[in-house]
Amino acid sequence: MSNHLDDQLRNALRPVDPGEEFTQHVVQRLAHDKRRSRWSTPAGLQWLSAALAAAVVLGFLTAHAWQVRREQQGLEARKQLLEALRVTGEKLDLAYRVVNDEAHGTAGENSGA
Amino acid sequence: MSRPDIDCVTEAEGCVSDDSLHRAAAGESAAFTALVRKHQRSVYSLALRMLADRHRAEDLAQDVFLQLHRSVASIESDAHLSFWLRKVTINRAIDRLRREPKYEEVSLDESLLLVSAAPAEDPLLQRQLRELVGRLPPAPRAVVLLRYQEDLDPTEIARTLSMSINTVKSHLKRSLAILREQVRDTTAVDSGGANPSKLDPSSPNVDQ
Repeated sequence: MSNHLDDQLRNALRPVDPGEEFTQHVVQRLAHDKRRSRWSTPAGLQWLSAALAAAVVLGFLTAHAWQVRREQQGLEARKQLLEALRVTGEKLDLAYRVVNDEAHGTAGENSGA
Repeated sequence: MSRPDIDCVTEAEGCVSDDSLHRAAAGESAAFTALVRKHQRSVYSLALRMLADRHRAEDLAQDVFLQLHRSVASIESDAHLSFWLRKVTINRAIDRLRREPKYEEVSLDESLLLVSAAPAEDPLLQRQLRELVGRLPPAPRAVVLLRYQEDLDPTEIARTLSMSINTVKSHLKRSLAILREQVRDTTAVDSGGANPSKLDPSSPNVDQ
């Protein structure tokens, strides 16, 4: 009876092949999962990290370039201001000398008379 | 001990060459598909007879192969692959039965259509046996399936289910006693009514 039941169980529990359709479903689900997890895989995350790092470096370089340009503009403005002050000083000096010379000339004429 | 697999000539027919596992691990899709073809009978049948529902069984078997795709690099040999697939399939099926213990679904009768080509001494008895195995509690059911569907010996079953060998032998002995008694009862009464007190009350309804 025991051997008979063993044999009957083996026959009753013979494996069942789900068919080629099952294989195709597995292949389709794999393809779907690959597409979905492209950005969540380590490779996708590496890409994301690299892009983020590149964006940070680019931002830093842009800010640095902007700061350097501003400093250069400041230096240029300072230079122009100094030049303007120098020219103004020269003009004032010239005007002073002219006024001073005229004043001395007038005083000499008055004392000679 | 294992039954020989399907005879095949080409990889497209499900034949797996020695390096298919390594090629699948290297990311070759065709090699992985060949692995699926080779093992889908075993995985699907275990899932079907654990869950007693074709759709759930197909879903679970697909999940197992998706998990295999993620873990294939850690599989060392074909024997390791068979062991891994059986273990994951049974564990997932038991988890599902715990999470969804009382679902009303179609019976194992559906599977009868699929095995109609198999040689059968007594189709009615085989049908009764499948129904009765489907009513066993999950752990003994898994033991019986691994013993009679997968042809594993008690040591291999113990390793697959992480049980002691004595527990496996005890499950087998009790399950066979229950099955023998139920078969005798149903044959004597010729009504197909099994005594539900000896079977798992939370198992799927296989009478439908």
